[in-house]
Amino acid sequence: MSPTTLLWPILFPAAVAVVLLLIPSRIRYAREILSVMSAGALLYLGFVLFARRNLSLVSDWLGPGINFDLRLYHFSAFILLALSGFLFLICLYSAVKMKNHPRAREYFGYVFLAAAFSNGAVLANNFVLLVFFWEALLITTYALVTLGLKPTSHRTAVKSLLIGGFCDFAMILGIGLLWASTGTLTMDKIQVEPHGLTLAAFVLMMIGAIGKAGAMPFHTWIPDAALDAPVSFMAFMPASFEKLLGIYLLARITLDFFELKVGSGLSILLMIIGAATIVFAVFMALIQKDFKKLLSFHAVSQVGYMVLGVGTAIPIGIAGGIFHMINHAMYKCGLFLSSGSVEHRTGTTELKKLGGLAREMPWTAAGFAVCALAISGVWPLNGFVSKEMVFHGALETGYPIFAIAAWVGAIFTFASFLKAGHSVFLGPRSTEVPKTRESEAPIVLPILILAALCITFGVYNKLPLQHFIQPILHGKAEAAEHLDFTSHALDLFNPVAGVSILCLIIALGIHFYGWNRSGKKAYLASEPIHNLPVLHKLYDLSEARFFDLYEQGVKFLQWLSRLLFRFIDRPVDYVYEKVVTAVGRTFTGLLQKAHNGQYANYLAWTVGGLVVVVWIILQLLK
Amino acid sequence: MVFSFIVMPLLVAAFLPLIGKFSKKLLPDVLTNAALAFLVFNSILLVKPVFNQGFIVQNLHWLGEKVNLQVALDAFNLFMLFTISLVSLCISLFSIDYLEHYGHKSTFYALFLVMIAGMNGLVLVPDLFSVYLFLEVAAVASYALVAFGLGYDELEASFKYLMLSVVASAFALLSITVIFGMTGSLNFQAVAQGLQDLEARLVLGVCVAFFIMGFGLKAALVPFHAWLPDAHPSAPAPISAMLSGLLIKVSGIYALFRIVYSVIGITPALSRLLMALGTISMVVAALLALGQKDIKRMLAYSSISQVGYIVLGLALGTPLGIAGALFHLFNHAVAKGLLFLNSGSIQHITGTRNLEELGGLGKMVPVTAGTNLVGALSIAGVPPLAGFWSKLIIIMALVQAREFGYALVAILASILTLWYYLLIQRQAFFGRVAEKWLQVREAPFWMSAANVVLALVCVLAGIFFTPIFKTWISPAAEALARGIQQVLMWGL
Repeated sequence: MSPTTLLWPILFPAAVAVVLLLIPSRIRYAREILSVMSAGALLYLGFVLFARRNLSLVSDWLGPGINFDLRLYHFSAFILLALSGFLFLICLYSAVKMKNHPRAREYFGYVFLAAAFSNGAVLANNFVLLVFFWEALLITTYALVTLGLKPTSHRTAVKSLLIGGFCDFAMILGIGLLWASTGTLTMDKIQVEPHGLTLAAFVLMMIGAIGKAGAMPFHTWIPDAALDAPVSFMAFMPASFEKLLGIYLLARITLDFFELKVGSGLSILLMIIGAATIVFAVFMALIQKDFKKLLSFHAVSQVGYMVLGVGTAIPIGIAGGIFHMINHAMYKCGLFLSSGSVEHRTGTTELKKLGGLAREMPWTAAGFAVCALAISGVWPLNGFVSKEMVFHGALETGYPIFAIAAWVGAIFTFASFLKAGHSVFLGPRSTEVPKTRESEAPIVLPILILAALCITFGVYNKLPLQHFIQPILHGKAEAAEHLDFTSHALDLFNPVAGVSILCLIIALGIHFYGWNRSGKKAYLASEPIHNLPVLHKLYDLSEARFFDLYEQGVKFLQWLSRLLFRFIDRPVDYVYEKVVTAVGRTFTGLLQKAHNGQYANYLAWTVGGLVVVVWIILQLLK
Repeated sequence: MVFSFIVMPLLVAAFLPLIGKFSKKLLPDVLTNAALAFLVFNSILLVKPVFNQGFIVQNLHWLGEKVNLQVALDAFNLFMLFTISLVSLCISLFSIDYLEHYGHKSTFYALFLVMIAGMNGLVLVPDLFSVYLFLEVAAVASYALVAFGLGYDELEASFKYLMLSVVASAFALLSITVIFGMTGSLNFQAVAQGLQDLEARLVLGVCVAFFIMGFGLKAALVPFHAWLPDAHPSAPAPISAMLSGLLIKVSGIYALFRIVYSVIGITPALSRLLMALGTISMVVAALLALGQKDIKRMLAYSSISQVGYIVLGLALGTPLGIAGALFHLFNHAVAKGLLFLNSGSIQHITGTRNLEELGGLGKMVPVTAGTNLVGALSIAGVPPLAGFWSKLIIIMALVQAREFGYALVAILASILTLWYYLLIQRQAFFGRVAEKWLQVREAPFWMSAANVVLALVCVLAGIFFTPIFKTWISPAAEALARGIQQVLMWGL
């Protein structure tokens, strides 16, 4: 296999994107068929490349040190395969869901363009190349969010662009610092201890990575996008692609570029970010009254587990974080797609208006149930395994507080999904939506495939762990560490698992208590927690976007702009408007008065001028 | 060949009154324009020999005998000749249509040509008395031309102009007399040599003061400027263009600086004095321009202000300053000629020059409005028009000579310039069309053509600024910057 094969995952989807953008909307099915077929071909290519593993393509590009350098190895091949798998499912789903969208042509074009950029970012082995693809993704994200066609879609798109732009800017800065201290931009040649300049580089690049993954506090555009962007975009970008890319880069940063030590300050920092993201986001998720928005907060909360896992710097924690990344991509993608399926048939995702849909949409309900149980960490699904690994890792660092935070997250994750599932699929049939039926096969099929994968990865967790995850850590962990995580991950009878199961029981209790208290209305099951004394205030503030750094930043800039306008611009303007013109007019008036048309007057000036000139010259001559 | 600059217009002027007896319009138009076109052509032809030899000196021969009239041509006065010929050609083209309603075309053209002959003569002659002679030739013609309309204002302005001008001429003549008394000669070269050997600084100082007053009045430097805002607006538009565009530069700036640089020799003290005069003119006149309602009066004050720039650059004395000033002289001649002609167009179209009555003409008369905008922006110094470069060079030269104060004032004055030119634009051309101007028609062909040609010169000189500056302005500036050496080189 020649190294130029590595160009295929980038150039092929880009070419498809161009064709998709050019195909007239009138040719029925051509767009859908082409996109599904191309995605299938890419999936096949992903398998081929994953089997081949090691390939490298280097050619001159922008200048010395900035080469067009692509490298396929185990990790990137794994992410590439995952990306193409999700692309295929999304295309299949969108073929029906987005068929009648007024701008479907652009949607498919941008999706494939995003796939091309993502593949490029994963394969890049040069930081400049990475930044190139990474930045290009911002544009496709922006474009896809605007396709939501809601009145606020543009605003949210700008928000995603600015937040993403800030994170990417931090990353570029970090890369610059790293380049300054190592002298190279080739990624696989960099391996430094984080201290001084490189410490700053680490933090800045980390912001770039977790910002892409959507960790706090760079998450705030995701809940907005849940309502403003197409739901398939949510399954495509924030649920799967961005998690894969962000955590891929985070893992590369902590494993390859820098050596993250157990118990080091950076490790603690990452764990704090992870734990905070888990807890705060899950509390926000709990009280949501919209299906998609609830899911979007979970998309943020789950990033916390990944960041926490990777941040432990302990092999089982890192493996758990990466495994959680792929697991999360699967079930969260499945969850968004099932919410889309509900929206497709009922036209709404408001929990209040839904209810008792399980009978009419059994496959969607089943897919949702599996994915929801997986995200909640119910044995024996995949979420259970990866969360257990993260718990173990967190405990092994010697800071049990992080494990406790993760467990708190688990409680409320389950509680909120009980609420969601209960509201949408169980309970009495809602009267607000007309009678309906199951969605078409292309919509249901991706959900079921993802649900099946969740079961497979959970029950046969040895398969992904041994084939996908372990090789990533190969050679990174200390020699003595055993890299077989399969033994205690499935072990149901150990104290860690016991606590986890206890959490699930607590969640069940919370849900049914709330359900009872709120008059057996499932969508109100979280109200008792919502109404707790202090929490209520915090929730209100949060709903008012008080904690949204972006909104606060915008407010601050507006305030600053008003301030500058009032105290700098206006006074300066006043000087121009009033002082300058007044002075000008005064002098002009005085001078005009002097020019009264009298010959004698003028002659006098002339003679006076002559006298002055003579006097000056005589003075000068002395 | 060089004499044709003086002889040709005089000859045509001599026959025009006779021709006017049987051809009221066609022949005078054709003859005048042909003569001026020939002069433009001639000045271009002279470029090569002058640049090759450095200078040309010729004596007039009459029937084989040498007559005591000499001309000396170097890069500096060739530059002036070209400017005069080009601008006056455009003005005479404009006059073809504009003079229709005045009548007496042949008389007008005759006076016009006499004035040009006077200016050309002044530029060419290398002795002090001839300078005075041609100064008066041009001046007398201009007195008559200012009064050409024979209205009350015209006559009053002409009289005021005459009375002040005569004072100026008298002082210049007095100074020339004193210098003749001291050196026994009037020839530039002989005077320059004579003055170098002479120890009479005090008398010479007074002479210079008289020159500054005399020629400064012709150039309308503040405080010798008061006649100009009356005289220039009163004349017919082509004559206003002639006076503001050319006459004040030739009989004022050229004469003053030719004598100061090439005959007497510039000193740092003199340089400072002239710079101060230039700066005062620049600022005071700009402020005065701001308050005017009559377009032509505003343009007249603007001329004083721009002359201030030129004097500032020339007085600075560095090669860059002189070059910038000469380029500005050219640009101002072209742009101010354009603007005065344009004000003639406006008057022709609407019958008024009062800015407060005008408004919204831009839509009705696009050619007039467009050319006016080009001229205004060029003088105000907006890139990429020619005026921007010349002002920039003057300011750069000031900065280079570490005269930061003057540079700052020059920049501020250019802002004032932009201000009052934008006032013209806003009040005359932009905005809504006033009801009474809905029926107006574009100016006749030759008027528009002359405007367009001058506007094109503004634009092209700005775009091709580098080659023009290198091949045309810099040699002229060097000729002046050589000072007395330049005159001594002529070897008369």
